[in-house]
Amino acid sequence: MFRSEVKPAVLRQVVDTVSIIVGEGKFRVNQDGMSLKSVDPTHVAMVDLELNRSAFESFEADDQELGIDIEKLKNVLRSATPSDVITLHLDEESNRLILNMGNLMRSMSLLDTRHMTDPKIPDIELPAIVVMDGEELERGIKAAENVSDHVIISMDNESFELRAEGDTDSVDLKIPNDLLLDLKCDKRVKSIFALSYFSNMIRAARASKVVKIGLGVDYPVKIEFDIAGGKGHVLYLLAPRIPG
Amino acid sequence: MKSLCVLCRGTKALCGKNRCPVLVRARYWNQTRSLIDSLELNGSSPPGVFVGRYGYPKVFVGPLIPPIHGDTSLLDTPELWVGKTIDDIVGFRSSLIRTKVPIKIEDTDNKIAEIVRDISLAGSSIDLEATLLKKPFGRVVFSDSVQPLGPSAPLKSLDLSTIKLDQKMERRSADTDLKANPAVIELYKDGIEISRIEKSFSTGSYGLKRGRKLVPTRWAITAVDDIISKSLREKIKEHPTIDEYRVYRTIGIDNRWFILMMPLVWMYELIEAWYPNTTWNLYGGETAIYNSAEGYEGRKKYAEIGGCYYAARLAVTEKLLSERRQAAVLILREAHPGYIMPVGVWNVREHVRDALKKKYQSYDSLDSALEEVMKVMDIPLLKWIENSSILGELKRQRRLEEFIGDDGI
Repeated sequence: MFRSEVKPAVLRQVVDTVSIIVGEGKFRVNQDGMSLKSVDPTHVAMVDLELNRSAFESFEADDQELGIDIEKLKNVLRSATPSDVITLHLDEESNRLILNMGNLMRSMSLLDTRHMTDPKIPDIELPAIVVMDGEELERGIKAAENVSDHVIISMDNESFELRAEGDTDSVDLKIPNDLLLDLKCDKRVKSIFALSYFSNMIRAARASKVVKIGLGVDYPVKIEFDIAGGKGHVLYLLAPRIPG
Repeated sequence: MKSLCVLCRGTKALCGKNRCPVLVRARYWNQTRSLIDSLELNGSSPPGVFVGRYGYPKVFVGPLIPPIHGDTSLLDTPELWVGKTIDDIVGFRSSLIRTKVPIKIEDTDNKIAEIVRDISLAGSSIDLEATLLKKPFGRVVFSDSVQPLGPSAPLKSLDLSTIKLDQKMERRSADTDLKANPAVIELYKDGIEISRIEKSFSTGSYGLKRGRKLVPTRWAITAVDDIISKSLREKIKEHPTIDEYRVYRTIGIDNRWFILMMPLVWMYELIEAWYPNTTWNLYGGETAIYNSAEGYEGRKKYAEIGGCYYAARLAVTEKLLSERRQAAVLILREAHPGYIMPVGVWNVREHVRDALKKKYQSYDSLDSALEEVMKVMDIPLLKWIENSSILGELKRQRRLEEFIGDDGI
């Protein structure tokens, strides 16, 4: 059994954060809410999403998995207006997810979840953590995209820095400690990431304004932020590129 | 530049090619000329058609007609040309007279455009009687994407017996609610040869009624390769990866092909190396190397290296889907000096297909598979690695499981 009501904006945040990692998602629902762990096909990036039941207008679910075509759900959401409340329920007989928005009913067949893997989220200890305004970071990324396809992220106890180096041009965004919301960094750390993934992750964090980034030396980055007004949480992991 | 050909006249190999392309063309032109020295041209079209590009959106359109009768399908079916020499191919093509009438691309109701469309949908060779405005003239024309083209002649009128249309193509053509994209994919699934889909695509046979247009042959070839291989690519992504490194190879028309499949999700790259004095590197003193690649999501911009990229992608996705597997695929091509004239992208599609029909060698690591490059190709491995964006990407981008220990993700 699964039946819930949710505002389109909340569902849209879920779709936007997951769709940059996978096209098909295995959502787990239970009495606590909804969650998903997925790794992208190339095993470079991962998402761990939790959405508390309180993020929904109403929520009832037995413990089960729903295989959802994220692109399809994205399309369905295009026909929702902000004032709608979407009713979602599982029609077990036909194995379809039924969405009602006002007078509009949309049914979506669910995907077979048996071949979808259950990735383990690696327990990664990162020596440096920064909490900052996501908007400022987004500005840096936009500039970086014009000069390179990867970014160098570094931190020390005084600042956070994003650099991109092209053949002839470069971009440098340096934010001093006093403009950051929090910075814990004992030694200098630096890693390089594919900009395509990194920028999508930072853009997905737009929903929350505040983003937390964990960084190491040539190690995966952890990007965390809240969604649904603090009633949901997203964690991304992204594997680094080898320098040189 | 002063013409080397004038100094050489086919005797000194000044251009560095191992045979004189001018002489090869001239020989076939002389053979054909005596047969077509007239304003009447009677023969069986393979069936073949050509839609030109110059003057777009008003382009030259017409059937290809050889001055001979019978089953001439071999002359315009590149799927049958693997194993043929460059002389064979020039021979086939120089006997096909390219008749032409200028028609606007939207003007698919034009009488000649309709006949040409029916010819492109025909199931077998068709007897045609053409009246020409001028005698056929010109030599064989070569291009990277289109098969070599024979002498051309402006067309005055065309008489023909009834055409028996291929039923599968006719059905899609008659359906004016079916978009061109799915029509092409359906025809491919029905087993229609790529070259026939391409021909009928160029004559505006498919698509929604209002959107139908003539499509220059060279664009039609790549559009069809792209449409089909995109659809195959999305299907193979639903399947597991292969579980070994594979090397396939072949040689055709002095082109060497090395195809590496890796047990990873879809990625694809074609790297071409042109020796000095081959078709596309006439004056260079060094071997020129070019590549185009795509990651898991494919690419949005047209491939730098052109239509051959899509033709080879069709061949590899077709092979992988037949096994219900996916893989990362790297194709290396060396064009050696015997490749004196371009013969069209079919060369790429059909030779890659041919290589993939052969037995492959299996390896358990990328390094050992790559070592095989040294045995097959002249250009050193390091040079290939330097020029490969997917090998670079595999080397530089780490994966999450490398940080977790033995359990994997």
